[in-house]
Amino acid sequence: MSVSEWTQVFGSITFICPCVLLLIIGVSLLIGRPMSELILGRWLKAMVSLSLISALAVLGIMLATGSRRELVDLGNMVEIHDVHFHFHIKFIFDRLSVPMVILSLVLCGTVGSFGLSYLHRDAGFQRFFLSFAMFLVGMTFASLAGTIETLFLGWELVGLSSALLIAYFHERPSPVANGLRVWAIYRFADAAFLAAAIALHHQTGEGDFSLLMGDEPWPAGTASLSDSSALLVGTFLLIAAAGKSGLVPFSGWLPRAMEGPTPSSAIFYGALSVHLGAFLLLRVSPILDRSALLSWMVIGLGLISAGFAALAGRVQTDIKSALAFASLTQVSIIVVEIGFGFLYLALIHLIGHACMRSLQLLRAPTLLRDYKTMENAIGKSLDHGSPHIIAWLGTSAQRRLYRGAMERGYMDAILDDRIVTPFVRLFSTFNRWERGWTHWLAGSHHGSEQHQEKMQNE
Amino acid sequence: MIAPLDLNDKNSARLANANLDSIRHAIEHAKHYLPTQGPIAVFIHHNTLHALEHLPFDEAVLEGLRTYGSQPYWQESRYREEMARDRIQVKDLQSVLGRDLGLSGSKEIASGTTRFDLRYNMLLHSVLTGSDAELRWLFAQSDALDRFRTGVEPQTGFAVVEATRNWIMRDLRLHPSDSSTGIPAAIRSIFQSFPVRTIESWSDETWKQLTLQILWRICQNGVQCRSPMQHRSPSTYRHRDILLKLSHFDCDLQVHDLLIRFTSAFLDQGFAGWSIPNREKGFYRCFLALFAEKSLWAEKWLQPLRALIETERQTVSTPIESIANSLTALGVPADIREKYVKKTLLALPGWTGMVEQMSCNASWTLYPAPKDSLEEFLAVRLLLDRISAAHCLEEHLPHGSYELSEVLALDHPERHDPLRQTVQQSAFDVFQLAQRLGWSPRTLYSWSTEEWQSVVGEIGIFDDLERRRLFHLAYEHRYRSQILDSISEHSQFPLKVPTSVSFQVITCIDDREESFRRHLEELDSSVETFGAAGFFNVPMYFRGAADAHFIPLCPIMMVPKNYVEEIGPLSSKQAETRRTQTRMLLGKASQTIHMSSRSLFSGILTALFGSLNAFPLVARVLFPRLTSQIRNRFGNLVRPTVATQLRLERGDDSVLTDKGAEGFTLVEMANMIERLTGDLGIQGCFAPLVIVFGHGSSSLNNPHESAYNCGACGGGKGGPNARAVAQMANDQRVRAILKGRGLVIPDATLFVGGYHNTCDDSTHYLDVDRIPPNHTAKFLAASQIIERARRRNAHERARRFYSLDMTSSDEEALRHVEQRSEDLAQVRPEYNHATNAACFVGRRGRTRGLFMDRRCFLTSYDPTTDDETTSILMRIMQAVIPVCGGISLEYYFSTVDNVGYGCGTKLPHNITSLIGVMEGATSDLRTGLSQQMVEIHEPIRILFIVEAKPESILSIMDRNPLINTYIRNHWVQIATLDPLSNQIQLFQGDRFEPYQPGPHVLPSVSVSLDWYRGWREPLGFSRVDINALPAHNNSPIGNKV
Repeated sequence: MSVSEWTQVFGSITFICPCVLLLIIGVSLLIGRPMSELILGRWLKAMVSLSLISALAVLGIMLATGSRRELVDLGNMVEIHDVHFHFHIKFIFDRLSVPMVILSLVLCGTVGSFGLSYLHRDAGFQRFFLSFAMFLVGMTFASLAGTIETLFLGWELVGLSSALLIAYFHERPSPVANGLRVWAIYRFADAAFLAAAIALHHQTGEGDFSLLMGDEPWPAGTASLSDSSALLVGTFLLIAAAGKSGLVPFSGWLPRAMEGPTPSSAIFYGALSVHLGAFLLLRVSPILDRSALLSWMVIGLGLISAGFAALAGRVQTDIKSALAFASLTQVSIIVVEIGFGFLYLALIHLIGHACMRSLQLLRAPTLLRDYKTMENAIGKSLDHGSPHIIAWLGTSAQRRLYRGAMERGYMDAILDDRIVTPFVRLFSTFNRWERGWTHWLAGSHHGSEQHQEKMQNE
Repeated sequence: MIAPLDLNDKNSARLANANLDSIRHAIEHAKHYLPTQGPIAVFIHHNTLHALEHLPFDEAVLEGLRTYGSQPYWQESRYREEMARDRIQVKDLQSVLGRDLGLSGSKEIASGTTRFDLRYNMLLHSVLTGSDAELRWLFAQSDALDRFRTGVEPQTGFAVVEATRNWIMRDLRLHPSDSSTGIPAAIRSIFQSFPVRTIESWSDETWKQLTLQILWRICQNGVQCRSPMQHRSPSTYRHRDILLKLSHFDCDLQVHDLLIRFTSAFLDQGFAGWSIPNREKGFYRCFLALFAEKSLWAEKWLQPLRALIETERQTVSTPIESIANSLTALGVPADIREKYVKKTLLALPGWTGMVEQMSCNASWTLYPAPKDSLEEFLAVRLLLDRISAAHCLEEHLPHGSYELSEVLALDHPERHDPLRQTVQQSAFDVFQLAQRLGWSPRTLYSWSTEEWQSVVGEIGIFDDLERRRLFHLAYEHRYRSQILDSISEHSQFPLKVPTSVSFQVITCIDDREESFRRHLEELDSSVETFGAAGFFNVPMYFRGAADAHFIPLCPIMMVPKNYVEEIGPLSSKQAETRRTQTRMLLGKASQTIHMSSRSLFSGILTALFGSLNAFPLVARVLFPRLTSQIRNRFGNLVRPTVATQLRLERGDDSVLTDKGAEGFTLVEMANMIERLTGDLGIQGCFAPLVIVFGHGSSSLNNPHESAYNCGACGGGKGGPNARAVAQMANDQRVRAILKGRGLVIPDATLFVGGYHNTCDDSTHYLDVDRIPPNHTAKFLAASQIIERARRRNAHERARRFYSLDMTSSDEEALRHVEQRSEDLAQVRPEYNHATNAACFVGRRGRTRGLFMDRRCFLTSYDPTTDDETTSILMRIMQAVIPVCGGISLEYYFSTVDNVGYGCGTKLPHNITSLIGVMEGATSDLRTGLSQQMVEIHEPIRILFIVEAKPESILSIMDRNPLINTYIRNHWVQIATLDPLSNQIQLFQGDRFEPYQPGPHVLPSVSVSLDWYRGWREPLGFSRVDINALPAHNNSPIGNKV
C-alpha cells in the first residue's frame, strides 16, 4: 500500500474504533445482555488504545512525509439536490486536529480506566460507559471534523452525553434539574451553531473547512467570505462557543455540571468538553481574521469571562466548583489568545490546561489529605485570607463584590428573568391564542374543552 | 408577639422575655435531634440516633422515621431476599415471633387461627397490596380468581374447596326456601353465573373458581364493617409543606440554594481564596451586612430581602428577637412553636447540625463558629423562609388568595392520609390470608361484625413496620444463635494457652485485627495475643516530627492532659534542619501551585506547562502501586529519619499550663502500664518479647479516611501510643515503681512498639535501633512470623473484594491491597468495620482457634484476676460499650437507610469548606457512612459476649447509667459466658436468661484458608485446630480455668 493509503487506513481506524465501542455497549444493552465489567473494560481499553495508536501513526506518517494536511472523506451522508442540501462527513488531520484527537484519546483512556475502578459495582455502570462511549465518539468527530456538519455531529454527541452524565444520579431531583439546565443552554448554543452553519452554506454553498479556509493548511488559511458575512457567521459561532465553554453570560451552568460521578466531571468540565468552544474558534480562526471587530469581540468576551471566573472562583468553598471556575478562567484566557491570533499558544495552553485540570479534578477528594500534608510541611495552618487587591476597596464595595461573586454574577437570574421568562411568556401567549382560536373553530364544544383541561390539571 | 419594645411598659417587657426564653428553650430542645458529626477530618463513629437513646431501640427507630423520614429497618423485600438465601431461617422467625408474642400468641383470632398463626403466615409469604386501581386490574385481568395465591398449601386449598362444595350443595341448595340458610343474596349472582344445572358434574377447577369468587365477594362485604382506624396525632407542618401541596412549588429549593452557599462560606476553614467579609460579626449580622448592600441584580424572590433587612435592623436587636418576629409574621401559634422550630431546623439537617457542631464542639478548628450560632442561623433561615413563602403565594397561587400568616391554618395534608387502607385493600388482605390459613367462604360468612373487626384489626396491626421489625429480629437471631452456639461449644474445651510463650502481641480490640491475631496464632502456636482499646491507655496530644499540630490520640470522650512530641536525633541535627527546610520549601511550593493553578495570571503559567501533568495522570491511574513506590523513594529524601524518639518524660524545664503538661511523670507512666496490663490480664505471664501494635489506615481520594483509623485514638493513627507504651514499659525506673506495687516485669522482657496499617496490611516497628543485641534474634524471629501473618491476613481480607480473583496467592493478595491504598480510583480502599457484628470480652483462650470471620471485636479481660466489684470489667465496659456500640449502630443506620441516615454513594461527593461532603455542586452536608462503606454490612445490633457472671454485668449497669441505657433499651445485645464453664446467659427483655445452645457441631479445619477459600459472602464459624500442630503440648492450664 502506498503511504497515502496507509494514512487513510490509520485515519479511519482512529474514528471508527470509538464508534465500534459505542455500538457494542449500546447493542449489548439493547438486547438486554449487558457485558460484564471485565469485558466492557477490555473493550474500552482495546478500542481507545487502537484508536490512539492509529492517531499516533498518522502523526508519524505526517511528520515523516512532511505533509501538513491529510483528509479522509466519507462523502455525503445525505444529499438532496433540489434544495442543495448535503450532509458531508469528512475528517481532517492537521496541526490542530491531530494534537486535539491525541489529547482526547489519552484523557478518555485514562479517565475511562479510572472510571472502571471508580464505578465498580455501581448500579449505573453500564449506563455510565454508554454515555462515556458516546462522548468519545463525539470528541473524535469534533476534533477531526473536516466539515462544519461533521463538527456539528460531534458537538451534539458531546452535548447529549454531558447532559446525560450530569443527570447520572437520576433518583435525586437536583442532578436532573441541573442536567436539564445545562442541556437547555447547550441547545441554545447548538441553535447558534446551526445558524452559523446555515449562514455559511448560504454564503459559500460549502461547509467544508478546506474549501472555506483555502488551500493552506491550518492555521494559515484565509476565509473565502466577505467581511460582513464573516462578522455574521463569526458572531453566531462565538455565541455557540460561549455557550459550550460556559463563557459570560452562560457561566452559570459550569458549577451546576458537577453533579455526576467524579471521573465524568473531570473529563467533561476539567478537560475536554469545556474546551470545545475554544476549539471551535481555533478551527474557524481564518474567519476571525477577516473581521477586526469580530476579533475584538472575542477578546472582550474572553477578558470579561476571565475576570469574572477568577473572582467567582475565589469565593467558592467547595473543591469542585472552585475547579470549575478555575477551568473557566483558563478557557477564557485561551479565547483571548485566539482573539489576538496566538493560535499555537492557545493550542498549547489548551492541551496543558486540560491535562492539569483533569488530574486535579480526579484527585479532588484527596483535598483534605493534601491540605494536611501541606500544613505539616509548612508547619502551620494554611489560611489564604483575602486577596490583596480587595483590601484597596471600601468595606461596602467589598461586600458588594463578594456577594456578586458568591451569587455567580447573578447570571442565572439574569438569564431567567431576561430570556427564559419572556420566552415562556411569549409561548404561553401563543398557546392561549391557539386555544382561543380552536375553541372558536370548535364552537359549542367549549364546555368539554374546559372539562378536559380541568381533568388534566387534576 | 414582639413589637418594638416599650421600655416603660415593664409588663410587656417581661412577657416578651418569657416569649424569648420559650424560643430559646425550643431551640435547645430541637438541637438534640441534629446530626452530631463534626468536621470530617476527625471522623468518630457514633450512634446516629444518639438523641433518641432514652427510648427503647424499637421505639426510637420509629421515632426516627417520624422525625427524619428515614427507614427504621431494611425494606421487607430485602429481608425476604435474605430469607431466600437462607440467611434467615424459618426457625428464626418462629423463635422470635413466639418470644415477641409471648402468651398472647395463642389467642384465637378467628376460626381456629391463633395470632401466632396469622402473623407467622404473614411473615412467611408476603401479603400483596396495591392501589384500588391495581386491585381492580388484578381481578379483572389476572388469574387471581382462578387459582390460589402462591404459598397456599395444596391440602389447605383442597379443604377450602371441599368446605364450599359442602356448603353450597348440602346446606344452601337443599333449603332454597329457607331464607335464613338459603343462598345469600350477596353470592347468588355469582352462583347463578355458573352452569347451575350441571352442578353435579362440575370439575374441580370450576369449584375452585366458584370458591374464590365467593370468597372475594364475602371478603369485600365483610370488611365493610371494620372499625375505624385510630386517628393519629396530627403532625406539625411547615409553610413549605402546605404550599408544596397547594402550588407544587417547593419554597425550600431557592432558600437552600442560597443558605448552603452562605453557610459554607461562613463555616469555611480556609479553602476559599477570599473569606466572607464580616465573618467575625457572627452568622446573623454577617448575613445582614452582606445582603443589605445594593446589588446589581437579584433573583426575583430575593428582591424584598433588602427592605426586610432594613425593617429588621430598625425593630430588633438580637437574633432571638428576629426569630420571634419571624414566627409571628409566619403566623406560628405558640402551642406548636417548639415543633415548628424543630421541623425548620431539620429541613436542612446536615448544614444546620454542622453550624451547631462548629459553635460548641470545634475549638480545635481554625475558624470555630461563635457560641449560639444555631440561633443566628435559625433567624436567617426564617427570614429567607418568609420571603420565599411570600414569593410562592404571590407567584404560584392565584393572586391574593392567602396571607402569609394564614397558611398554617390551611388544609392539613394528613386529611388525605395515604396510610389508611381502602375497603378493597383490606378485603384483599383477608382474601389472601383466608386462602393460606384455610378459612372457607362459609366460615367467613358466619363471622359476626365483631369477628370481622377483630380480624381486620389484627391484620392491620401487623403492618409493614411490624413485619420488618420481626424480620430484623429474626435476622439478628440467626447470627446470635450461630455465634453463641459456636462459643458455647468451643469453650467447653480446655482453655487454649501455650505453655511456653515465644512472644506476645497486643493489638487494638478492632474487629479487623481478629484475623491478624488468628493467623499469628495459627502460624506459631506459642504466640499469645491480647486486645486492648487502641490508645493503650495512653491518652495524649501528639505531634510527629514532621507534623504541624498536636492531635489528640485517645477516645473522643477523654481529654488528654499531656503533650508528647517526636523529636529528631541530636547527632543529625543539621541534616534534620535541612530536611525540615526542604519540606517547608516543597510545602510552600505545592501550596503556591495549588492556589495559583486556580488563579488568573499565574494560572496561565501553570497551565502552559500543564502537559507535564499528563505523566503523573496516566501513571497514577494506570500504575498506582508503582507510582507510589517511586513517590515514596523521593519522599524519603525529605522525610524525617526513622531514628527519632518520643519526648515522653516530663523534664525539669517542661512547661505546665492549665491545658496540660509536656510529657508524663514516672508515676503517671507506671499507673498507665499497671492499668493496661491489668486490663489485659497479662500480669505475671510476660513473654520475653511483647509487641504492641497500634493501627491506622491510609488511602487516597477518600474524604472519610479518618473513619478508617483507630476509633480509640479519636480517628487518629495509633502508632505513637504503641510506641509510648513500649518505651514506658521498658523503662527500668517505671519497672521499679511497679515492682514496689507487686507487679513484676521480668528483666528479660522487652516491649516493642509497632504500627499496623489495616488498608495495605503493612506492619512496621518503632525504635528498633534501641533493641538490645541479646534480644535481636528473638525480635527477628517474631517479625518473620508477623510478616507471614500479614500476608495471610491480606489474603483473607481480599476474599471480600470482587476485583481480586479468588485463586490468587498470598503474595498477589498483598500486592492487591497495597495497590488499593494507593489507587486514586479506588472507592473501597478497605471495608473498615463493615463486618462488625459482635464483641467478645474475656480471655483469648476461650475463643482462640475459633474462626470468627473478622466480625468480632476481641477485648482481653481475665475474670480470674478481677476484684470483687469487678472494677477492671467496669472500666473496660465503660470504653467498649459506647465505642463498639457506636460503631455498630452507625453501620446499622447507614445500612438500613443509606440515603437518609448515611451519606449515599461516594461517587459524586464534593468536599466543601474542608468540613464535610456534599453531593454534587450544592446539597445538604452529608453525614454518616457511604454506600461503598456499608455495602457488605449485615445490619444487626452488636452482641457483647462477656466472660463474667450476669450479676457482675447487672451491677455495672447499676453503676453506669450510659451502659444501663444501652443495654436496657436494647441498643446493643449482651450475653455472658461463665468464667468456669461454657454456660451462656443472654440478656432478653429486662433480665439475663440461660441460653440453650442448639444441636450444633462446629466444623473443624486445619487452617483458616481451608475454611474461607472460595467464599465471597460472610462465613459461619469453624474450629481452626491450631492445637493439632505438634510444636507444643496442649494440656489445660489448671489455674487459668
